[in-house]
Amino acid sequence: MILGTTAGTWLLAVAAFAGPLATVLLGYQYAADTRAYDRVIRVATSVTTLALASALVYLTVQFVTGDYTNAYVWDNTANYLPLLYKLTGVYASNKGSVLLWALLTAVVATTTVLLNRFDVRGARLTQALAMGVVSVFATMLVSDSPFVPLAAEFPDIAANGVPVDGSGLNPLLVDPFMAIHPPVTFSAYALLVVPFALGVTHFVSRLRGHDSVFVEWIDSTTRWLRASWLLLTAAITLGGIWAYRVLGWGGFWSWDPVETAVLIPWLGLSAVLHSLNRYRTTGQYSVLAPAATAILFPLVVFATTVVRSGVFRSVHSFAGGGIGSGILFILGSTTVLAVVPAFVYWFRLQDTAEGATADGGPRFGQPTILHAAVLAFVLLAFVSVWGLSFPVIRNLASGVEVGVDARYYNLWSFPVVVFMLLGGGAYAQRERMSGRVVLGTVAAVLVVTLAAGIGLARPEWQLATTEPFDPLYYRVVGGLSVLTIVPPAAYFAAGWTGRFVDRVARIDSRRVRLKETGVVLIHVGAAILVVAVSLVYVFSATGSVGIAGATGLDDSGEPVVREVEGTPYTVEVSDYRPANTPTVTEAALSPAEVLSTDPSATAVLVRGEVTEVQRFENVTIAQLDGSSVWVGADRGTVAFEPGTEVVVRGSLSDPRSTNIDALVYTDRENAGTVDDPPTDVYQPRVVDHRFQVTLYRGDEVVADGIVAEQSYRGRDMNTNDPLIARGPLGDTYVVGTMTRGGGLSIEVSRYPLANQMWFGVLTMLVGMCLLFVFDPAAGARD
Amino acid sequence: MNTRKTLTVAFFVVVLAMGYYSMNAAPVVSDEAHTYEGGLEWQTEPGTALEMAQSQDKPILVYYWATWCTYCDTYSDDHYRNETVRAELDGYVLLAINLDEPGPGAELARQHEATYPPQHRIMTPEGETVTSIEGYVERQRMLRILRRGAEEAT
Repeated sequence: MILGTTAGTWLLAVAAFAGPLATVLLGYQYAADTRAYDRVIRVATSVTTLALASALVYLTVQFVTGDYTNAYVWDNTANYLPLLYKLTGVYASNKGSVLLWALLTAVVATTTVLLNRFDVRGARLTQALAMGVVSVFATMLVSDSPFVPLAAEFPDIAANGVPVDGSGLNPLLVDPFMAIHPPVTFSAYALLVVPFALGVTHFVSRLRGHDSVFVEWIDSTTRWLRASWLLLTAAITLGGIWAYRVLGWGGFWSWDPVETAVLIPWLGLSAVLHSLNRYRTTGQYSVLAPAATAILFPLVVFATTVVRSGVFRSVHSFAGGGIGSGILFILGSTTVLAVVPAFVYWFRLQDTAEGATADGGPRFGQPTILHAAVLAFVLLAFVSVWGLSFPVIRNLASGVEVGVDARYYNLWSFPVVVFMLLGGGAYAQRERMSGRVVLGTVAAVLVVTLAAGIGLARPEWQLATTEPFDPLYYRVVGGLSVLTIVPPAAYFAAGWTGRFVDRVARIDSRRVRLKETGVVLIHVGAAILVVAVSLVYVFSATGSVGIAGATGLDDSGEPVVREVEGTPYTVEVSDYRPANTPTVTEAALSPAEVLSTDPSATAVLVRGEVTEVQRFENVTIAQLDGSSVWVGADRGTVAFEPGTEVVVRGSLSDPRSTNIDALVYTDRENAGTVDDPPTDVYQPRVVDHRFQVTLYRGDEVVADGIVAEQSYRGRDMNTNDPLIARGPLGDTYVVGTMTRGGGLSIEVSRYPLANQMWFGVLTMLVGMCLLFVFDPAAGARD
Repeated sequence: MNTRKTLTVAFFVVVLAMGYYSMNAAPVVSDEAHTYEGGLEWQTEPGTALEMAQSQDKPILVYYWATWCTYCDTYSDDHYRNETVRAELDGYVLLAINLDEPGPGAELARQHEATYPPQHRIMTPEGETVTSIEGYVERQRMLRILRRGAEEAT
């Protein structure tokens, strides 16, 4: 503590000073068109980044060493957690994740300042805007610091001295994916800060009659955006796998507000990359492309607000207490910056010559189709934005609460996706064929699509179960067969493959070929993905069965066999084995640790070797490890033998002796040896309830393994480990939920084509990597 | 007007139409006095539910739910839409409390120690709790509990 503030907060204060300093100087250099303060700026930006990095390292060290004087550390970790989850606890809650995001943004902003590859006046404004965002983050962190002392945040806890253990980590976050999903997400977000600043600079420069940096930086911007796109796709996929494995989230995608929210910037990025393609080659979208580039950063801030605000209730609302006003400030200011200059510029443009050009060409040419594609991406994003917003709007307006379920998102998005696949296929085909031929093909595919949609609409193949009282649109679209998606997807994939084959035959450069491979993989992967996702949604089936007395089962006894209602499966549960973390022996304190515990604690668990035994009239006491800590019990109830190692739970009582500092008074139930510890009276942090389950279909074993549920001391929330049997045609997914009185409810689900879905995503990711690395137009040299 | 401008105008028409239509077509989850989980009409005020239970001499089924709770969706789709379950529920006064916005139900939720959804409690018309269902149970088991609860609570 220095001047009443912790060292960590001082580090953040350094960043909150150096960041604004760099921002102001960069802004001045832009306004006055000078380079006088370049050195100061370089130092200031570096100091900002280093200070944020040191703060993150310092916080991580506090987590690893269990420094519970820090409220944030105490609130987000505990001793029993392995090292990996102590590290990930750093960004388990709002403050730490903002720090991570701030640091990554600072690294990106500082890189542009230090490299300084573009010596244009506008570059300084771009850098100033990026550093401005970092500065707001830093200021936010100082006012809502992750280094607030325990005594300030939780005075009741701190009143008894520094706690020996933390309050724990949210059980859902104790998962290996926690180590990778958030950092990847925040990296994707951070990369968007430079495109944002560039887009804003573009319009400001144009309005002031200067040269724009956007035109010069376009190739490098494309790379920033593609990197962000790749990482965001990976982040969403990782989140989906996580949701699939850690149950309670309803499969891999459940249109939870946070999933919906993160899809919005992803769709936005996809739209922008498509429009930039046109901008780069023909100069079209001279307003839309830079404006859309700028709006992406506010979109990811919006996504974060949705995730953390508590306005939209979601499974991601890990951190209670709402979101800081800082994030709302960033959301507001970046949105204004992204929208206002672009709008003013566009408004003035109407009168100039530039606005009148950029059109023409055939009515059904590639530019028209691409334009439709961009609009369709925006329409898809609108479906998500609207689904998040209108319940809030309607509730505020009329007090009526309306529901938005998966059906809303699925049924409104589905026709748009079908239309996009048709359009995308036409775009690829149009490159080689005349408009007339392409229109003919599209019409033919459309006929097949409608025939499949209406002709194959058997009840179990329909997109949604509908009731006669449902609105017309839901009845019509919901009544279509899921196979509607197949003909357009096939046309789309075939079109892009044909375009690829045709192009590659004419290209000599290896890099361009690899880039084209990337493009085709992205599109074919997307086609596989949408087909697989649609089929998984419609054909997944679930059934469940209850098994009473499951916790009484033993390997040697008779297993319980039950049929699972509504499925062709039979389930056999043969063994129950709970595992405690930490075990009673691991949790027991050493005599030295007992001396430092809070004397008012109701129960103390201690472990040590008995070194001396004294017997009095009513009481037997035993010394542990030759220390001043003794354990005691009513005479004749507990046998303390010198030389044995004991584990004892009891209350601290008055030792009435000057040689004894602490006496732990126990009884028969609460004492035992290391080999036979008093497990029954001990409440561990985590109990892993493991059931041995075998799933049969007829006589054939479909799945065989452990189905587990974890319960946590002091928390109402449980987590589940499903048993997943993967197969070429789909996954069989078994999950068990414990019910009152030692019962187990087994739920068996079938997810057809689950692996095809992951395969589709993987194909897209590989394609994105190739495109990122090998596109010569965007940085790669041949 | 060229093709692209036409497309853009069409886009905005679609957006507006879709927005307006979908907002009005969305199922009502709750209004002033009721909530409609699983297509059933639930009371939201414990006081009203108790009065109804006393005047009709029926037990009360209290359902603690939340919008983001996936097991609650399973209850809605699989249990509450089932004819047999609905027949059994006819014997109950239904009270649903959204744990995120408990409103007047906050005190009852505290009494019932209902913090994490889904949770069910069966109460006598006088408000005494006779049975709890914590978390998710499959349909047959819920039916058994409802049948037994109806006997115990009257």
